Amino acid sequence: MFLRILKKDIKRKKTMNIIMLVFIILASMFVASGLNNVITIANGTDYFFDQARLGDYIAARKGSGEGVATFDEILPTIGEIKSYRLDEVIFSTKDTLEKEDGSELDFDNTLMIQSLEDSGLNYFYVNDKVATVVPEGHFYCSYRFAKNNNLKTGDKIVVKGNDVRLSLTFDGTLKDALFGSDMLNNVRLFLSKADFENYRDNGVSSAGMIGEFAYIDTDDVGAVDVALTEKCPTLMLNRPRSTIKAAYFMNMVLAFITLILSVCLIIVSFVILRFTITFTITEEYREIGVMKAIGIRDIKIKSLYLTKYLVISVLGSLIGFALSFPFSKLLLDSVTKTMVLGNGLGLIPNIIGSLLVVLSILGFAYLATGVVKKATPVDAIRKGQTGERFKKKSKLKLSKSKTNSVTFMAVNDVLSNKKKYITVAAIFALCASFVLVMTNTVNTMKSDRLIDSFSARSDLYYSDQDKQMSFMHEGGNEELQEYVTKVESDLDAMGMPGHVFVDAQYILKVTSNDNEYSVSCQQGIGSTIDMYVFTQGTAPQNMYEIAITPTVSKKINAHIGDTVTVDYGTGPVQTTVTAYFQSMNWMGEVIRIHETAPTNLKNCTSWMAFQINFNDHPSSSVLRQRKQKLIEYFGDKEVQFAWEYQADCIGVVPTMETVQMLLLAITIVVITLVVVLMERSFISDEKNEIAILKAVGFKDRRVILYHMIRFGLATLVAVIFAGAISIPLTYLTIGPIFQSMGMTTMTFAINPLSIFVVYPLIILAATLLVAFVTSLITKTIKSSDTASIE
Amino acid sequence: MNIIEAKNLCKTYIVDKRQNNVLRNVNLRVEKGEMVGIMGPSGSGKSTLLYCISGMDKITSGEVIFDGKDISKLSKNELSELRLNKMGFIFQQMFMMKNLSILDNVLLPAIESKKESLSRKEKLLKAEFLMRKLGIIEVADNDINEVSGGQLQRACIARSMINNPDILFADEPTGALNRQSSKEVMDELCKLNEEGTTIMMVTHDAKVAARCSRVLYIVDGQIAGEFKNNDPALDQKERERALNTWLMDMGW
Repeated sequence: MFLRILKKDIKRKKTMNIIMLVFIILASMFVASGLNNVITIANGTDYFFDQARLGDYIAARKGSGEGVATFDEILPTIGEIKSYRLDEVIFSTKDTLEKEDGSELDFDNTLMIQSLEDSGLNYFYVNDKVATVVPEGHFYCSYRFAKNNNLKTGDKIVVKGNDVRLSLTFDGTLKDALFGSDMLNNVRLFLSKADFENYRDNGVSSAGMIGEFAYIDTDDVGAVDVALTEKCPTLMLNRPRSTIKAAYFMNMVLAFITLILSVCLIIVSFVILRFTITFTITEEYREIGVMKAIGIRDIKIKSLYLTKYLVISVLGSLIGFALSFPFSKLLLDSVTKTMVLGNGLGLIPNIIGSLLVVLSILGFAYLATGVVKKATPVDAIRKGQTGERFKKKSKLKLSKSKTNSVTFMAVNDVLSNKKKYITVAAIFALCASFVLVMTNTVNTMKSDRLIDSFSARSDLYYSDQDKQMSFMHEGGNEELQEYVTKVESDLDAMGMPGHVFVDAQYILKVTSNDNEYSVSCQQGIGSTIDMYVFTQGTAPQNMYEIAITPTVSKKINAHIGDTVTVDYGTGPVQTTVTAYFQSMNWMGEVIRIHETAPTNLKNCTSWMAFQINFNDHPSSSVLRQRKQKLIEYFGDKEVQFAWEYQADCIGVVPTMETVQMLLLAITIVVITLVVVLMERSFISDEKNEIAILKAVGFKDRRVILYHMIRFGLATLVAVIFAGAISIPLTYLTIGPIFQSMGMTTMTFAINPLSIFVVYPLIILAATLLVAFVTSLITKTIKSSDTASIE
Repeated sequence: MNIIEAKNLCKTYIVDKRQNNVLRNVNLRVEKGEMVGIMGPSGSGKSTLLYCISGMDKITSGEVIFDGKDISKLSKNELSELRLNKMGFIFQQMFMMKNLSILDNVLLPAIESKKESLSRKEKLLKAEFLMRKLGIIEVADNDINEVSGGQLQRACIARSMINNPDILFADEPTGALNRQSSKEVMDELCKLNEEGTTIMMVTHDAKVAARCSRVLYIVDGQIAGEFKNNDPALDQKERERALNTWLMDMGW
């Protein structure tokens, strides 16, 4: 008997039961994949670094041959080093590579060619297995290089050298723990051992191009840093694991967005589940009353409903559990392209997630069936029949309203069922605020608001790495001066007189409070110190004054007014810290030195782009024309506006834009699900009201409009609220991320049109469209259905 | 003068691949100002006849002429207009919009209708007038769950009358009411009829049907007989008796 009632129930209330099942499948999928993602992301970079054997300290040096000490000679002499692994690399530039048809390959940073077979670091295939072999004549490379150049498996590129021309077939990309982040994205080319040795022995024009990376295990990073700076004059990179980890911040931002999204989806799932269960059980009140009236015991009635929900929830959770794996993969897709993420727990988080859904449903169902115990049979029957309640429902008066009947009913419904619509609005607001926070972040990244934290603000920027590398030797300063003078005179000749300058970076030995440090120092060549922005203090006026970032201040424990010794390459010089400034270069670990400081370009480690300030302050349209002219003048080199250069320096703008679109898509998916499922529930609940509206002469389109307006109102409230809170929320959530990258004070570029008009309208339009399509089903309810309504 | 006429009206349902002829060639005419009762055993097609003749349900074949037009040929929107402006409906279950007060439920069709160029204030006065007339003005601001079944049904009558319909269709309007409420509702319907409103009503109650000017008896989807109840010399009791005798002859 019991089973027969259950079977009949499942069959008779097919629509609501299917809606319930769909909700449970989604909830289980969201919760199971969400839990998995949360654990995976919490492990994040450390898991990746450990798998890759990155170590605690990473160093790189260049140069080989007689008189040049190698890491194998230096590192064993440093007592604090427990162990280390090496990668031999050849540093090269853009002109080394070309496509098979002779066209250029697109990349900006230094190129590193190496063999995979003897690598000290573990690199990973796309399936996260450790990469071990590259067949002769083939190559692997970094993900971004392949993506930017649209490389497909089987494509060929040419690696050129002195007496060598290697034609190599592209086999795929490898995940690289050191250069896999969006902020440290140098290109690595992995060849077979034979190809690498051939290129090294016959293709390299200068011994200075050969270098090595060391991945060092130590408990005393500070001591290793000091010792290496002292013992290795050819050092070109030395960073602790924490700095490399910080460079992954933007990648982890993506991962954390996924995490927050997962948590949101979990919340959405439970809120909707709670709503649906309470809603469906309210529908059953009359039957509960009838069963009580004929003497069935409360426990039996309760267990009838609990069994029904158990059956549906187990079925839904099983399907959701299976779907959680591809869904989890989809959410983490943007992050796992360059990172190896994992948690070593296998299926456990997914199983726990699905079980949690089943238990929650049973919990909600148990609470919702409380009426079985509390209500008398008559109470339950009357509640079910007329929706009897003891609180006034109608909030507004049609007689006093100025709106049309449909709008009035919609507004009145929303106000009369606040809990129901607040649930809808809260879910929409939550999703919309994520989209808007992302919009504010992307708008800021695409503005030129952060340009001061990279270099001086200029009209145009252009990168010419080959040219810059050609100045990195004794006498390079004079050659650079000649080059700048030539460009300036050519600009003059082209009718656009301007000033050209560039920022060079050095790793210099800095002593503060008797402790030695290696710190990146940035110096303008051809610029004047007043072109840079300082947040506190006075700009350095000579080589005896420096400005530091808050990150450096913390690292070397120095403040404005303190004395710090800097070795510009000519011996220690006592300097005074005169100012603080913000920098996003090297995660904020930068010192700005005066343009007159006696540096030598032979010690330069990296460059910012060349910058041009036109003397005649051109308008933006003139600037666009000049940009075009300069692209031709520099032979198709990339010439950028400030905002473009800023976006290039940050490096993650395209990814962030993708995430923004992904969030928008997910918001629309969530809205679609919520609207479809809730509207279907509402229609099922309001069938008699719809029929009566039609019986008294309401047209189909008026009924549809009535249903659309209700969701439209909830969405309108949600997007207005989301727009308003998105600004403080951006500062609260994204602000600290920029802070950790060096921006201690941050002003986001808020575009009111985007956050209050464009995105809200997209979300509103999506809601109305989904509500419209879903409410079309009301057309099937006829006025004559009033005769058959229970 | 005919207000509504059915010609060879048929309605067939297909249930489990079996054809069920609910109405079979029904022909009837209703004069303006008449109050017609429809009676018959359960499943005979009374309610189906009411819904088909009022355009609430589609007919399988035949014609239903209302206001000179065959309503079976009208579009859904035209039928909605017709129901809103020219017809009124009362059901056994007192269906109302649960989030609106009694007054607003009555007022709703008037606000939706463009039939009369009345202001909202005038429509409100009309709704209040109807409610006062039906004796439910004191519950105007109540929610639908705060009034009795009789009051709710009278509110439904007020709602059906708000746009001055030419004809009122009632499907067992007293079916869910107690004796006293039932009498009150019928009193109101008779008053409306006396004021000129045509009424077609399905009922199981001979007492209720006795107050109609004509009673149609349906058996197996066909009109099996017709009882004219318009002898002014008879009082209510005598009418009931006469109707009961006729019903017994019909096999009731």
